[in-house]
Amino acid sequence: MSSFDSELDAKGLNCPLPILRAKKAIAALASGQTLKIEATDPGSVKDFEAFCKQTGNELVSSAEEGGNFIFFIKKS
Amino acid sequence: MASNKRLSAPERRSSLIKAAKALFADKGFHGVSIDEIVSAVGVSPAILYRHFKSKDELYDAVLQDFSCQRESYVDTIVNSDADFEAVLRGITAVFIDSIVTQPDLLKIELYSILEGHQAHREFFLNRWKTFTDYIEFSLNELQSKGRLPKIDSKASALMYQGMLREVLLLKCLQQSEHLKDYSLQALLDKMISQFITSLELN
Repeated sequence: MSSFDSELDAKGLNCPLPILRAKKAIAALASGQTLKIEATDPGSVKDFEAFCKQTGNELVSSAEEGGNFIFFIKKS
Repeated sequence: MASNKRLSAPERRSSLIKAAKALFADKGFHGVSIDEIVSAVGVSPAILYRHFKSKDELYDAVLQDFSCQRESYVDTIVNSDADFEAVLRGITAVFIDSIVTQPDLLKIELYSILEGHQAHREFFLNRWKTFTDYIEFSLNELQSKGRLPKIDSKASALMYQGMLREVLLLKCLQQSEHLKDYSLQALLDKMISQFITSLELN
């Protein structure tokens, strides 16, 4: 997965900031567009799963790369 | 109450955690011996060591057993306006609820501060970081947008943490007499409003 419409750098931020920033970033997207998020907080993996479950947005992928957590979320 | 009833392994493990949690809350990590924990449950030390390699490992299990707030934080963010005050009130409510329903958490935190165990301190510092990071980051952002006069956001975050901690100590542990006319919620509402007013947000 490499294409995205917007990008959010949440590195160094702790819960609940990455979720809050993602919520704002997704609000600015159109339906079907994808947001890429980079985070460093290990808890963000579960946070974004819960976030997508509750908002109905699609967690397209969730991966770890060199200590960073990369998420792709598609707006419903 | 000692009980020799045969329990399944997960039941036994959870009975050990429950007994240890109450003892650690009353006497701290160093104030409790393995013998005390096993006699509270009515088993031998060998049974305890079957579940936990050491007192440290049991203590970690006690900390992990306190219910996780993360999902509630996500829930709060998803369901609130994204404005600074609404989110601050929302995450504060989640945090307060975790202490009201588990006051042992506050007692164990106080002991951990005195005892100075690095891992234990980190566990509790991380819980507070939710507030300090959120406040610091948001206030810096609001200042960069010109919505706040120049203030020290780190000091403001610390002020909030101190206020919240003091309210919890007075209302949950000390049942302070001179605050008896205020419910915990009413007191918090007023203090958060005062905090927000002091920021002179525009």
